Amino acid sequence: MKHLTEEQIVLHCFGDAEHSTEIDQHLHACSECREIFNQVKAMLASIEPTPVPEPQENLEQEIWLKLQDRLPKRRPSILQRIFSPHFLQARWATAGAMAVLVLAAFIAGRFWPRGPEKTNSIEAAQLDPQRVVLVAVGDHLERSQMLLVEIMHTDAKSSIDLSREQAQARDLLDANHLYRLSAGKKGDPSVEAMLDQLERVLAEIANAPRDLGPRDLQEIQNQVQSQGLLFKIRVIGSKVRQEEISSHKYSENQRL
Amino acid sequence: MEVMEVRDAAVVAQVLAGDQDAFRILVERHTRSIYTVIYRMTGNPQDTEEIIQEAFLRAYKSLERFELRSSFATWLYRIAVNRTLDFLNAKKMTDISPITENPDPEARAEEVQLQSAAPGPDRLLLSTEIKSRIAAAMKRLTPVERLAFTLRHLEGKSIEEISEALNLRTDAAKNSVFRAVQKLRQQLAPLMSATK
Repeated sequence: MKHLTEEQIVLHCFGDAEHSTEIDQHLHACSECREIFNQVKAMLASIEPTPVPEPQENLEQEIWLKLQDRLPKRRPSILQRIFSPHFLQARWATAGAMAVLVLAAFIAGRFWPRGPEKTNSIEAAQLDPQRVVLVAVGDHLERSQMLLVEIMHTDAKSSIDLSREQAQARDLLDANHLYRLSAGKKGDPSVEAMLDQLERVLAEIANAPRDLGPRDLQEIQNQVQSQGLLFKIRVIGSKVRQEEISSHKYSENQRL
Repeated sequence: MEVMEVRDAAVVAQVLAGDQDAFRILVERHTRSIYTVIYRMTGNPQDTEEIIQEAFLRAYKSLERFELRSSFATWLYRIAVNRTLDFLNAKKMTDISPITENPDPEARAEEVQLQSAAPGPDRLLLSTEIKSRIAAAMKRLTPVERLAFTLRHLEGKSIEEISEALNLRTDAAKNSVFRAVQKLRQQLAPLMSATK
């Protein structure tokens, strides 16, 4: 009987050998090769990954501080800047995002809800921007609430992958910032304070490390719980919905 | 395409357009993901941090060659593995101290022969001895063998991923893993029989 080569046996231990069915059959029949196979398996089992100690907390900042002075200045040519697909894509994305933010800031700043007040019926009938903002704020609070509920229900004992939630938190942060500024400008301290707390938690989630540990998650959950944030969002969210309904009825009446 | 990858591509575009500070975002996002594999190869946090810096510097300088559709994390991982290989090669050139006091494997096995297999201080001592012998045996591998073995056995990377990361043909990557195991067997076989 022709024995297996050592290379075939070793690679078979990793599942990387060719003709693995034939090798399995041979190992079943040949005690000599089987013994070597078992020896290799046992040796590999004894070589376990050594635990990697947690790196220092501010490792990224340390790396950046040491690195930034070593980075050569980049001076792209005009042609490169204009025709680079990366550049075009990024610029269009930035321009689009800026346009949306400016529009949102304009509308939010101008029409932040201040309770029912008498508005020009012609304006109300034409645009009803207050309702647009109320819908947007209500939607923002609902999305934030769903995100926090997901975070609160994440099991701190199992392996934690929050990459999806982190992407959502990043999306919500910009809008939250604008709504908070608008609420401050319009003298709505309770909404402003709630949005301020929400912003901190969103930033915490968005900037959490990718390999989030159970303790980090627990801290975020405690932060949400100790501030009663979910409750506040629900209360203010329902208030916003009520105002939205009143605003809708008011503009309907004005139209009639 | 993942959200993170879309964002990475946008950040790369910003850096290419001259915004050097935007590179910080990539450093903050990806430092920890390459830390583990580098640490496993160096076993030392200072060396690991130095290699991470070198990997990011190389990535920054070659950013024009990064393809928008590919993953920045995978691209950086490949650079990090190659920087680690360079580091190990350079270290091998300067590291001339003997790894073990007694190079004879049979003699070393005799040193750890134990009468009893029952758990206890002797058994713990043997376990510590095995770990240090494994570490010493790993150091006797060539840098490519060590990396290929670490990536395959400890990081669970496929042969295709290893060959891509190390710029090797698939057969060569398989052969590197095999040679690593063969050498480890020669070094550790007497020790393994001592633990039976």
